[in-house]
Amino acid sequence: MAALTPYTFIQCPCSDSSTLGRPSDANPAANATNDDDEEADEDNRTFDPRAPRSNFSLYPLEYLLYCEDCHQIRCPRCVSEEIASYYCPSCLFEVPSSNLKSEGNRCTRNCFQCPICIGPLAVTSVETKPDPSLLAAPDNAAAPHSGPYALTCSYCHWTSTEAGLKFDRPNNIHAQLTKLRNGGLTRLTARERRERRKDPAYRAHLAAAAAVAVAAASEDVDDVEERGRGPGIEEKESLDVETQFANLKSFYQAQLANPNSSDTGLTGLGDLGFSSPTSLSRIMSIYTGGSLRDKKAKSRVGAMREALDADEGFQPARLDESAAIAALQAHGFDGTSSTAQLAEQPVNIGEPAFPHGQAHFASDLRPVPHLLRTKRSKRCPVCRHIISKPEAKVQTTRFRIRLVAGSYIPSIAIRPLALSPIPNTSSSFSSTSAPIPTSTSASASGPAIPGALLEPLRPAHFVLTFKNPIFESVKITLGAPAHTPGRFSSKVTVLCPEFQIDANTDVWDEALKEGLATTGGGAASGERDPRERRRRRGGTEDGSQSGINPTTQLEVGKIWERGRNWVSIVVEVVPPSLSTLPSGGGDSGLPLQEDEDVLEIPLFVRVEWEAEMGGDEVGSVMPGVGGSKEKGEGREKRELAYWCVLGLGRIRR
Amino acid sequence: MSKRHSLHPGSSSNTAAPPKPPVHLSSSLTIADSTLLAGTHTISLHGETVIHPRARIESHLGRVSVGRKCIVHERAVLGAAPVSSSSAAAAVVRRGGGGDGASGGDGAPAGVTLADYVTVEVAAVIEAGETVVGEGTVVGVGSRVGAGAVIGKHCTLTPHSEIAAGEVVPDSTVVYANGMRRTDKRGVAELKNKTMARQIDMLRRMIPSNPAKFA
Amino acid sequence: MSSRRAPRGEYIETDTGNKVARKATLVGTQNIMLGGKTVIQPEVMIRGDLIRTAQAPSQAAAGAAPNNTAVSIGRYCFLSRGCCLRPPGRPYKGAFTFMPLRIGDHVFVGASTVVQAATIGSHVHIGSKVVVGEFAIIKDYVRILDGTIVPPHMVIPSFSIVAGQPARLIGEVPEGGIDAFELRDLYKTVGNNPHPAPV
Repeated sequence: MAALTPYTFIQCPCSDSSTLGRPSDANPAANATNDDDEEADEDNRTFDPRAPRSNFSLYPLEYLLYCEDCHQIRCPRCVSEEIASYYCPSCLFEVPSSNLKSEGNRCTRNCFQCPICIGPLAVTSVETKPDPSLLAAPDNAAAPHSGPYALTCSYCHWTSTEAGLKFDRPNNIHAQLTKLRNGGLTRLTARERRERRKDPAYRAHLAAAAAVAVAAASEDVDDVEERGRGPGIEEKESLDVETQFANLKSFYQAQLANPNSSDTGLTGLGDLGFSSPTSLSRIMSIYTGGSLRDKKAKSRVGAMREALDADEGFQPARLDESAAIAALQAHGFDGTSSTAQLAEQPVNIGEPAFPHGQAHFASDLRPVPHLLRTKRSKRCPVCRHIISKPEAKVQTTRFRIRLVAGSYIPSIAIRPLALSPIPNTSSSFSSTSAPIPTSTSASASGPAIPGALLEPLRPAHFVLTFKNPIFESVKITLGAPAHTPGRFSSKVTVLCPEFQIDANTDVWDEALKEGLATTGGGAASGERDPRERRRRRGGTEDGSQSGINPTTQLEVGKIWERGRNWVSIVVEVVPPSLSTLPSGGGDSGLPLQEDEDVLEIPLFVRVEWEAEMGGDEVGSVMPGVGGSKEKGEGREKRELAYWCVLGLGRIRR
Repeated sequence: MSKRHSLHPGSSSNTAAPPKPPVHLSSSLTIADSTLLAGTHTISLHGETVIHPRARIESHLGRVSVGRKCIVHERAVLGAAPVSSSSAAAAVVRRGGGGDGASGGDGAPAGVTLADYVTVEVAAVIEAGETVVGEGTVVGVGSRVGAGAVIGKHCTLTPHSEIAAGEVVPDSTVVYANGMRRTDKRGVAELKNKTMARQIDMLRRMIPSNPAKFA
Repeated sequence: MSSRRAPRGEYIETDTGNKVARKATLVGTQNIMLGGKTVIQPEVMIRGDLIRTAQAPSQAAAGAAPNNTAVSIGRYCFLSRGCCLRPPGRPYKGAFTFMPLRIGDHVFVGASTVVQAATIGSHVHIGSKVVVGEFAIIKDYVRILDGTIVPPHMVIPSFSIVAGQPARLIGEVPEGGIDAFELRDLYKTVGNNPHPAPV
């Protein structure tokens, strides 16, 4: 069982409207420790960390942002993002957003990923003497300028020559690749194709090729002969996906514009069939963003014919799979491409011979241009203020605005507390009810090493250290359900649910103190800094406690330890037994689910502090959160409340 | 040699320097001063091979032979004791143990044999027990080749690859991504050897060699 | 280092605050530049002897004195036990040459990791048992998880979290995770008289 390091996840209020509108206590001072009413209230509202929905609202502190205007936590799920810049993660060049529309979301320089292993590809020169196997290839004559460069993977040693791809120049590989089909053949753009069609020499060649009807030996084999078709049948071109789409689009546009050509088609289906202009324009608007929707076409009735030849985007389905079967027999399963590899293959530069550019064999995979990455700024979903804004330049790592939750709300660090075991722990071990920790001592032993398994039915203690990041002293009120929700319920006791943390002092203060500490030694710096001397253990001065073991002193309502801007408190938990034997409980007969042995306790944290009144912030305090607002000397009371989940460890099975 | 070995039963103890294994070092060898040679069987290092500092060559379980123009990088271990408990490895170890009693001559079992142009990268481990690495093969950083494995020519083991004991790896195999296999179709073996020769030229000038220490 | 000082510390602490373990292997020390406040734990190996032999054309043209730095490390770097830093090498104009390995500030290198990168930026966390391939370029604020194999020549842009064999992008460093790359506190916890980690 993997060791579990304790963690703290914080719930973003965006997921739950009930916590957003949670009424705050009118008089926080009355909220004394171990208040039964408070407990009952909490129980009703307990947040279940195991609920399926919780997965989507819990975040580590680092992932959370904070809106200064709403005074609320914002998570990656609720902020709205705006792209500041696009760049290639390999060459780190910024791509202007105007280029994105024309060239797509991939790098158009020389940045490619290996189609086999996604490692980076480098341009290497193929030796002057090419691979003998490639020389033997029948299509060698078709590419007289056999490219002296290839893309090679530095990790798995894949090379683009495996797909028959070689490049004439070492630069501008992307442009070369778009014109190159597997095996070194040229791939024509739609325009080139149209122009070529007008060329009488090409027509003559087509006719000749059709007469010879030998596909493999063809000089310019862009047009692969369809097997099984006689030489007399009209030559069918194989189109790549983009060209086919372009041809179909123009064909249907023409059809929409001219609805009188009702010479063929599935007329019987009327308005529902593909031949109906209405459905056609609807389908086309789906794929082309609505720009093609012709209002006039709606009123017109009349069937339309389907595409008939390659010019109009007609492609016969390739049903002859004998080549694929033969290749499968030759190369076996290892020669096929995996789903992950296919998913990486971009469609638009794919081999046109395959539907949607998807190759069935690893040898047909093409280099993958790097997907672009973005720098994004983030906005508060409620007030639309920007809460995170990086500098747009790719190479800089600075932020113009960066309001992270970590600088507003206290961080919670968890550390297991090893208590010296008191003799006669058998009573607590045998009884299922936890011993109420009293001011005398706690008879328990916690796991000494972090990540150790928790013993069932035996009280364990954890030190929670709250560190205050803001420059005001804050008051923290904690609420935890006495029993954790779920099938296996742990008993939880927060020994000190209410305390005050001193303000975070200036960075320079800290730096100076460190300087003193390093020069003068520990004792001297302690004397110079009276705050450090306030560090208490179990309510007594540090000096008097140094001789005896202070850890046996667990007092209710007392903080455990205190520092400049942090306070440690102790939480006692009694993990349940994870026995799945039916013991009268409803669904306890089920086997243990994954991670059900992890002890997670929900904890409600309320932070209260007084802050300088900002001029424009007066009206913007959320009603549920900053409820008690008192005007006086420009200071106002602020309050922030949220659920968090403490993952303490795994329970021994 | 076995006689000297018997004089120092605690050869692996930390009191004195362990006995030097019998070595056969080429005059054109480059071997760093801090290389560690240990064991009882012959260690032969052939011409123009480069041994980086802190590489370890152990011949406790059998002869170690490194071909011409090999590069053994720092912290690489040739002839390590097998960790795998598979039967193949165990058999090899037994064979090795039997050979220990014989003289360290031709009758000794082969521990590790590297052909020419082999690169053993940083912290790679090649276990002893008639393990063979073919010509032009690169054993990647932190890889482990099990005892008795036979690796073909011009293979590439990417970093942290594991070859099981007794496994036979065909020529030009690339072991990558946690044990995936594919065939290297670049056909650049000659070019690679040329590059390696250049690298060795450079390293010979860079690494101070001290073969006298081991002779 | 005289042996007369009776309880020798585990580390040699230099004037610039570097803490170098006595059991670290630094080959070619004259070619290793430490920016200061860098921790080098025991069994770390740095190959400063693999210096660049072919000069860059710009330098050769300018007639500048050959810069023999093989490995340069910035401030507050932390090289964990058993890691190895070595300059990358490649054929260049008919000969083979090594190129310098440059490491920025606040770079953590985990245990048993081998780094042969060309450049590592600042605030980079490299886990344990990672292999950074030759001529990899790692920009600032990058986290490389344990056991990752970064293939040669890979470029990892800022704020990336990568893992796997070979390395692939698995996430982005969140805005709030930037401060975690700071290694000042870790620096204080090692040395001959270490301070406990602050709360």
